[in-house]
Amino acid sequence: MNGKKLLRFVEYLFTFVVVVTLNFAIPRLMPGGPFAAMFTDLGESASLFAQEQRRYFMEYYGLDRPVLEQYIRYIKDLARGNLGFSYYYKEPVLNLVLRRLPWTLFIVLLSTVLSFLLGILLGSFSAWRRNTWCDVLLYSVMVVSGTVPSFLIGLFLLFSLAAGLGIFPLSGATSHFVQYESIWENLADILRHAALPVLTLTLARTSGVYQLVRNSLITVLSREYMVTARAKGLREVRIRYRHALRNAILPLVTRFALQMAGFVGAAIVAENVFAYPGLGRLIREAVFVRDYPILQGVFIVVAVWVLGANIIADMLYRRLDPRTKNNEL
Amino acid sequence: MGSVLEVEGLSVVYAGQKREVSALRDVSFDLRPGDTLGIIGESGSGKTTLALSILGLLGAPHRVSGRVTINGKEILSLPEEEKKKLRWRQVAMVFQNSQEVLNPVLKLAEQLAEPIVRHFGLRGAELENRVKALFDLVGLPSFWLDAYPHQLSGGMLQRVLLAMALSCDPQYLIADEPTASLDAICRQEILSKIKSLQAEKGFGLVLISHDLSVVADMAERLMVLYCGEILEMGPTGEVLEGPRHPYTRGLVNSCVGRFPYKDLWGIPGEPARDAGQRCSFVARCTQAIGKCNDERPALRLVASDRQIRCHRGGIALLLECRGVTKTFTLGNHRIQALTDVSVSIKHGETVALVGVSGSGKSTLAQILSGILRPDKGELLFKGRPVNGPWATRQQGGIQLVLQDSSGSVSHRFTVEEVVSEPLIINKIGCPAERKNRVQEALRAVQLPVDEAFLSRRCFALSNGQRQRLAIARALVMEPALLLADEIVSMLDVSTQANLLRLLKGLQNEKGFSMLVITHDLHLARKISERIIVLHAGRIAEEGSVKRVMESSCCIHTQRILEAGLGSPDIKEKPFFVRSPIHPHPFEYRGDMA
Repeated sequence: MNGKKLLRFVEYLFTFVVVVTLNFAIPRLMPGGPFAAMFTDLGESASLFAQEQRRYFMEYYGLDRPVLEQYIRYIKDLARGNLGFSYYYKEPVLNLVLRRLPWTLFIVLLSTVLSFLLGILLGSFSAWRRNTWCDVLLYSVMVVSGTVPSFLIGLFLLFSLAAGLGIFPLSGATSHFVQYESIWENLADILRHAALPVLTLTLARTSGVYQLVRNSLITVLSREYMVTARAKGLREVRIRYRHALRNAILPLVTRFALQMAGFVGAAIVAENVFAYPGLGRLIREAVFVRDYPILQGVFIVVAVWVLGANIIADMLYRRLDPRTKNNEL
Repeated sequence: MGSVLEVEGLSVVYAGQKREVSALRDVSFDLRPGDTLGIIGESGSGKTTLALSILGLLGAPHRVSGRVTINGKEILSLPEEEKKKLRWRQVAMVFQNSQEVLNPVLKLAEQLAEPIVRHFGLRGAELENRVKALFDLVGLPSFWLDAYPHQLSGGMLQRVLLAMALSCDPQYLIADEPTASLDAICRQEILSKIKSLQAEKGFGLVLISHDLSVVADMAERLMVLYCGEILEMGPTGEVLEGPRHPYTRGLVNSCVGRFPYKDLWGIPGEPARDAGQRCSFVARCTQAIGKCNDERPALRLVASDRQIRCHRGGIALLLECRGVTKTFTLGNHRIQALTDVSVSIKHGETVALVGVSGSGKSTLAQILSGILRPDKGELLFKGRPVNGPWATRQQGGIQLVLQDSSGSVSHRFTVEEVVSEPLIINKIGCPAERKNRVQEALRAVQLPVDEAFLSRRCFALSNGQRQRLAIARALVMEPALLLADEIVSMLDVSTQANLLRLLKGLQNEKGFSMLVITHDLHLARKISERIIVLHAGRIAEEGSVKRVMESSCCIHTQRILEAGLGSPDIKEKPFFVRSPIHPHPFEYRGDMA
């Protein structure tokens, strides 16, 4: 058993090393190198005097050293928590990322929880009433809504609820220049700002969860143990939730991990639509100014996040499905 | 003691995507606590549907009609909540063990406990004790309660399923293939467990299986289900010893466990998808008449406590002779060849007529075929008296094949002349048609059909070929009854085996009956369903091969068996030494011609 745990740990470690290496290699493999951008104003060709300066910077950042040495230094820095220095913000990347990360985590986790709750609820509602008009209607709505891109949903919400009706703020994560009288007021303000991004992400993600739960439950309903449960004369609640849903949520756990990667993409869009100060917005800003250290730093953090979600899903699945455990008692 | 489970006219129609499927039609039976009803049928016969509908588990969109009454209370029309309260409490089910009959993510303890919680409201230590007691009951150590279903072996899971079914002390237990996936030892254990628990708790048992040997040991009464219909029902012993419906007979013949010496023959064809308004077995039945295709037969009482569903009243009686007596005179001597012999042969069966030389076997064969006239007694073929050879002259009649084909097949005839002779004599068909039928008959006995062979003279054939030719000559008349008088005794072993398999195969397909006269008891045991022992012109014993061979009560039979099979206990010596084969020095081989 311990051997197996160790093996799993080594697997994750290996994945992490591969991610880190890619993160190290990709900018170095790109044509032009980082300084081509640094000395170029958008669209204009590089000035010649930069040649001298360029060599200075190469030396300064250690880019003239052998690749292996650079790699070792990169790993060492990473281990110390040094993600590099942003040349646009003139600030350590770690500080930048840490400042933005909580906002993204906040809206992503909140919308994940909401979309899973909503998806499970609606999915089981549909599955129990499959092929009735409620199911057909809900199913069609869900399938259509699943195909709408999240930025469209976001824009729609922005125009209708924020700009049109003025119920929610247009942008940001908090109100500026406001003294809060209590922590509750502070929290309410944060929630009011997060409402639209969270709603956008939730709406975009519910459809997938709904479809998965519905299909998975319908499959479970035709299983023999459902006949057994009914033959035993059990109460409907127990049949539905203890016997059916308990089995049907297993694929959801896997989906949770897979979704985390997709969520970051969706968060970038949502944060930019609502000018929400999270990682997604940071990525966009960094791309505009070609700030490689920021991008690299954000990628590492996102990779760790997704990897973490996978580890959690893995452990959760092991707990939920006894068949994946060893056959020991 | 007024408790009884009654099922009346139960019908189930499944509403499918495209069309409706009738899964159960008009099934009725009753069962009292302590009794066992065996239900047997092939897969798709509606066994499981019957079980589920008794539990009231089939509802809209499927249509369930009829009545299921427990202790006078009709349960199908109860509201769902009421049904739920009765399920498992009055009727519980031992499911067939399969991968997912138990919930894979719940511990056994929980799955065992939940009906007890539901129906008795037990909690805590009381509940725990009860669950442990249930495991005790089926002989499982209680630490397994903490396991998940996938951690147990098939035999253990079957025990868990049994324990679970007994958790609420039901009055009736439905066991659906409780041993189908188990090895022989597990099967024996589970079955004896069910039996002893039944004796202890006194529940009524409905035992569903496709395995005759399981049902034969356990059930007092047997129901044969086919395409959702009861085809035959009666006391288990009687049904298995003397099946009345062609389907039941087919099942018995298909079952190797019944009598291991016997050859194995399945029922040709596939079950009908939807029988509609005709007999559901008609497509596979060899004795079907026009009515079978147009009208659905009703389930009729044919004897006390014996019901069958067949327009022809079950397996039809083909030949019946009553009180036949025959005396020959030789000078002043009167030789009593047959005394008061009564024999009946049913459609599609193989009857072996055994007896020592001079016991009257050949005389009986000649009387049955109408060649000899009996002094006394009457003979009916298909209900018509046989006086004179009319039965041998028609198609679908009687044909006799004799021991020695060198005598019965003329040397000078060509192959075609030999086989077409009965057609020509009886003016059947035109020349072209005759030729077709000759070729068909030759093909059936695996002889060549090319012109060269057809025009070959019979003296140029081997003994085996000539014997097959004699059989082809009989088959060309499409007989309903083939009287085979020692037809293989002069052939070598391999030809013998080929020829007999051939005949049995043809019989299985076309459904003619055979009366096989033989000294060879091994052969009789292998190919026939029924055996008649003739001794000194009288019938000494008659019965199913299984019964006669395994528990004969007649001294003459026992002596014949002892001599013929080498040992009084046939189970001890399944192998045997054959009498040496006599060489035939004057045999002409085909290739010498």
